[in-house]
Amino acid sequence: MKRLLYYLRIWVFMSRNSFLMVLNQRSVLLIFLAGKVLRFLFFISFLFFLLKGAENLAGYNSTQTIFFFLSFMVVDTTAQFFFREVYRFRSYVVTGDFDLILAKPMNALFRVLMGGADVIDLITLPPLYAATVYVGKLLNPSLENVFLYLLLLVSGLLITAAFHIIVISFGIITLEVDHTIMIYRDITSMGRFPVDIYKEPLKGILTYFIPVAIMMTLPAKAFMGLASFTGVLSALIISILFIFISFRFWNFAMEKYSSASS
Amino acid sequence: MFRILCLVLRVSASRCYTLAMSKENKEAVEKTIIVEHLVKNFEVTERKPGLAGSISSLFSPQKKIIRALKSISFSINKGELVGFIGPNGAGKTTTLKVLSGLLFPTAGFIQVMGFDPWTRRPEFLKQISLIMGQKNQLWWDLPAIETLELNRAIYEIPQNIYKESFDELVELLEVKKFLNTPVRKLSLGQRMRLELVAALLHHPKVLFLDEPTIGLDVVAQQKVRDFIFEYNRKHSATIMLTSHNMDDLIDLAKRVIVIDKGQILFDGNLKELVVQFAKEKIIKVYLSKEADIKKLDEIGKIKRFDFPQAILAVPREATAVAAAELLQNFPVADLTIEEEPIEEIIRRVFRGEVIKKKNG
Amino acid sequence: MGKYLQVFKISFQQEFVYRLNFIMWRVRNVLQIFIVFFLWDTVFSAQGRQLFGYDRDKILTYVFGLIFIKAFVLSSRVQDVAGDIARGEIINYLLKPVNYFKYWLTRDISSKALNLVFAVGEFSLLYLILRPPFYFQNNPFLIILFLISIILAIFTYYILLFIVNAIPFWAPEMGWGGHFLVTVIMVEFLSGALFPLDILPASLQNVLNFTPFPYLIFFPLQVYLGKITGFLLFKGIFISTIWIFILWFFMNWIWKKGFKVYQAYGR
Repeated sequence: MKRLLYYLRIWVFMSRNSFLMVLNQRSVLLIFLAGKVLRFLFFISFLFFLLKGAENLAGYNSTQTIFFFLSFMVVDTTAQFFFREVYRFRSYVVTGDFDLILAKPMNALFRVLMGGADVIDLITLPPLYAATVYVGKLLNPSLENVFLYLLLLVSGLLITAAFHIIVISFGIITLEVDHTIMIYRDITSMGRFPVDIYKEPLKGILTYFIPVAIMMTLPAKAFMGLASFTGVLSALIISILFIFISFRFWNFAMEKYSSASS
Repeated sequence: MFRILCLVLRVSASRCYTLAMSKENKEAVEKTIIVEHLVKNFEVTERKPGLAGSISSLFSPQKKIIRALKSISFSINKGELVGFIGPNGAGKTTTLKVLSGLLFPTAGFIQVMGFDPWTRRPEFLKQISLIMGQKNQLWWDLPAIETLELNRAIYEIPQNIYKESFDELVELLEVKKFLNTPVRKLSLGQRMRLELVAALLHHPKVLFLDEPTIGLDVVAQQKVRDFIFEYNRKHSATIMLTSHNMDDLIDLAKRVIVIDKGQILFDGNLKELVVQFAKEKIIKVYLSKEADIKKLDEIGKIKRFDFPQAILAVPREATAVAAAELLQNFPVADLTIEEEPIEEIIRRVFRGEVIKKKNG
Repeated sequence: MGKYLQVFKISFQQEFVYRLNFIMWRVRNVLQIFIVFFLWDTVFSAQGRQLFGYDRDKILTYVFGLIFIKAFVLSSRVQDVAGDIARGEIINYLLKPVNYFKYWLTRDISSKALNLVFAVGEFSLLYLILRPPFYFQNNPFLIILFLISIILAIFTYYILLFIVNAIPFWAPEMGWGGHFLVTVIMVEFLSGALFPLDILPASLQNVLNFTPFPYLIFFPLQVYLGKITGFLLFKGIFISTIWIFILWFFMNWIWKKGFKVYQAYGR
């Protein structure tokens, strides 16, 4: 408990710092904010017009399809908010500043994973959550389904955390971060639509390898009462498995790092 | 003896330490850093060029072992300031990294304040500091004060102690003016001083300084040096310092450890280094009349000739003979015999010239 | 001419030096094609479905056409110009006896050539994996106009990038931001790179048709698919030509201004 408070305090400190950094360049902040909002609105309207013509997408109606997209955004943007620091990780390793991070009495993984929360996402998240709640209400979910939805969102976020950890661990070994994270993002962006639209072998990849299906699609399905009990259970197990694997991989990478030359 | 037994029995280092303390003698308490037969090997994967090469090395990696440290041993007492010198790639930085817990030792025993550095226990890390010239812990786009505040939280420094040590460091390093300027706008010297503040807020008992004055101008170097000296004196902190800057070593370190190719060549007083490693002595003569340089050259290597002064370097063994000869055959007004300047010897060490101990 | 040939060669080689970057950029392109392909494949899964004026063959041809059009039009090196300006490296080029615009156009062409080679490979590969139906245009007249519209698109995008990348003259830190807003977000959605614009309501399409964006990707593909013919086709070519002139003048104006600001700051 005391440790938890300690890390919470440090997280607040670091996030404040990284907010200050962005706020110093207000025009940059505005332009990226505008870009993100615009992209969101464009996409929502695209879905709206598409479904207006097509009536359904893989059996989902317009509201449902938009809810899938919003759930994707919730997971994706929340992860970006927390794990933005990963995008800066490469420079820490290349310059050797990572050594100084390791010499601190604080968990190094925590520092490089969560040390730079993104203020732009902090601005976009509340309206996004509000929109998700609004569209969610239109679907009249049962209380139980709402609970499952939230539970699965958390498990989805755990998987995103696991992937970010894997990406930085990979970065320690190969010095390659930027491309891996972009590939990861491109693949997860397939979750903007319910994964039902994809066919094998892609569908298999999206279910087991990079489980976009579990991270983004399944929560929304549970919300609509379309998820089975075994589906939910295996999602939870898989997310814990992913976290476990990512920690193992991180430890492996650290072992490599500490036995490698600089 | 006991420690080696512990090693064999694979008892954890800190347990071993307590055992050693009770059973052996009290000397262990005084020793802040103990290094025994430390070996560090790096496994380097040779990468072949090209995409095909990197794929093939992914499946059948060509591994090569680099022996960075070949069984080095030394110990450092509390409050000592030790200079660590050697040419590039000698293993200095590797040693510092092992001692601060960044690198895992391949073999051997190390202990810093009773801790096994590799476990990287918070209690250990809170008592040390690693400072590397040209590496940053300050947040680049923010004023340094923000990083200092963050470090206060990370190191859990109580407010009153923080205030005290903050004031002290800021005054000693004369950085008050720069505290609120974004770090990226500062000069290297200003930044390095702030790096020092950030690294020392928690009053580390052991400091590892890797090239702290690299890239700084002469004035900034002096400021950093004075500060390190002052900090060592005031807090009796144990300091290990690597540097390529001779002045750093001459000004600061009484004791030096010379390391080359992963082995310790010398460990002792800076003055003894000269006695042990100097191959030559320097004879300065003042001539009362012009003399033939060629004839002087027969006695010893002329390092400078600027009438009336001549400076000769002669082999140590031959010093007495050379001096006698000079007095006999030249119009000498004055003559002094000096040791080879320390700079010269250290310079040789940096160049990696094989320096052999005299008389074995 | 000789020196630009040299620039072309060097630029081509440089792409190989940064081959990881290049390969990743291609991989990302393929991933995006996957998304779009499966999306439309699902929408048109019912037999004989007609929607937004497309049948299954035509919509999947649209998706596959994107591979080529994007390699032709959207692969460019001009986004590096912003960095050049921000770091002050642009001065190196201005001191040399080369025309800066032609220099980058040459580099662009080399980049497009390389991307095109890869696009052919990806096209074949994806074709084998996904086995989509394909609509072949056999009217030579339309094919010529398709090629003309692509060339117009290349110039439009090139000039547009040059305008956007002039932002660092005024605000060095905004280089990537401006690029992100205009060429990543706006172009992706408004050019038809993600979805054919005719799913939008007619009124919206009418407005969009007066902007330069649809002429980058959507319009050439419509010409190929034979969905735009006659008067509308020539109207489109006319509008995109007009846009090239407008953007061209605007670009010259803004770069002149930019240089003045640049010199004033002495960066």
